[in-house]
Amino acid sequence: MTEAKTHPQLEVRSLRKSYDDGRIEALRGVDLTISAGDYVAISGASGSGKSTLLHLLGGLDVPSSGQVLFRGLSLTASDLDDYRARQIGFIFQAFYLLPTLSAIENVQVPMLALGENGHNRAQRAEELLVELGLSHRLKQYPNELSAGERQRVAIARSLANDPSILMADEPTGNLDSVNSARIMEILTGIQKKRGMTLIIVTHENDIANAAPRHIRIRDGRIEH
Amino acid sequence: MIFNIMDLTPEVNAIVFGWLDDTYEFNSLTFTSGSRFHNGKPEAIIGDTLARNLNKKVGDPLVMQGSTFTIAGIYHGGTALEAGAVILPLDQMQQLSSMQGKVSGVHVRLRPVPSGESQEHYFKRAQAAIEAVVPGLNAQLATDRATNNQFVDLAHAVAWGTSAIALIVGILGIANTMAMSVFERTREIGILRAIGWKSWRVMVLIETEATALGFAGGILGIGAGWAGLRVLSYLPKTNIFVSTSLTPVHLLQSMAISVICGILAGAYPAWRGAHLSPVEALRHD
Repeated sequence: MTEAKTHPQLEVRSLRKSYDDGRIEALRGVDLTISAGDYVAISGASGSGKSTLLHLLGGLDVPSSGQVLFRGLSLTASDLDDYRARQIGFIFQAFYLLPTLSAIENVQVPMLALGENGHNRAQRAEELLVELGLSHRLKQYPNELSAGERQRVAIARSLANDPSILMADEPTGNLDSVNSARIMEILTGIQKKRGMTLIIVTHENDIANAAPRHIRIRDGRIEH
Repeated sequence: MIFNIMDLTPEVNAIVFGWLDDTYEFNSLTFTSGSRFHNGKPEAIIGDTLARNLNKKVGDPLVMQGSTFTIAGIYHGGTALEAGAVILPLDQMQQLSSMQGKVSGVHVRLRPVPSGESQEHYFKRAQAAIEAVVPGLNAQLATDRATNNQFVDLAHAVAWGTSAIALIVGILGIANTMAMSVFERTREIGILRAIGWKSWRVMVLIETEATALGFAGGILGIGAGWAGLRVLSYLPKTNIFVSTSLTPVHLLQSMAISVICGILAGAYPAWRGAHLSPVEALRHD
């Protein structure tokens, strides 16, 4: 990483991402600054590049050109594993729980990457699941849980490594309105309580408009 | 002495030796019934495994290539080959093999190594002395003959060839299983990478599974091999060539080879799985 003088939590400069040998441009030069503790919603039509932007911010992918800076330091490909393991908590639309592990085991998986011992892992996973109202579902497997419960397990997993940034890609996309409201209540509650940065990608206007900061993406560019 | 391999029945064949009745080689045999044969008489002694296979006892006739021999004794052999062999008087064996006046080998027992002379020097001196008696004769130590024997070399080559093919098939089998496993679990690997698992940790996970497969394969293989040996040791056609003893060294070698096969077979799938892009892996159906 290269040291920089200013230290916003996340900053992107001239970010571009293309696929298929440059024939498809998902992002066409994005500049963005996000401060610690911000609650940001990114919205846009399908294919606008909003998920691509989130993936690059979260270190899941590398840009074709441009930079992603975390606390002023430019992220390189070799930093990304550690960046994701220590700073980022991901929540996905499809939950992405490991089907062969119980709820409490799923929540422990990110802590394995940090070398936490078994006792600490189990204790923290249980605390998180209890905090999310799943004390009675610790030993259940994903296929034994409702969609709302699965997403709450996924949220618990995203918090397991005590990240500084929570990134949610369409977190309510697979939920009914009641569960959607519950999940958003949980996410915003966590953001306030822990002072974390929360970045949500959504195509739902209600959710996007409820965020203090709303970024619209269109054709790979931020709309101003 | 003469030795040859002959069919005793359509199902049973055996190594047949021709010895003189006063050879010192009888000292290595333990008779369980009867006694040694006599030169010039149509008599035979047979190993206990062969006696069991043929259901023969002392006094019974043994027909070989149209000639009938009376079983004079049954001995216990130290090796599977000995226990499955027939020994005839040398003259009877020469006649049976149409080798009148000929032998296929002469076994010579040396006196103990003289004091002050090294064993190696003594053996070389004895070899030279024996070869000087009959020009063109090749004198070999029994241990060298056993290890440098053409048949033994051929048997070793066949065994190694078969084992190498089995190993290659095993490695390809595990590699295929692991490649399929990685392919089917691409999304799971993507999830692990997304939540911070480093490439090497994913690699270790896949290699551990491949090693466990190799270990389990080793245990199953040893069990199947042992069962196969037991079966072969009961079949009349094969039991004279088969020993069922499995030493700890054999077991350890087998397990080590199986585990190494697992590690080798898992290497490429592990590397491939570890280097999947998290985003691509998460998109995998």
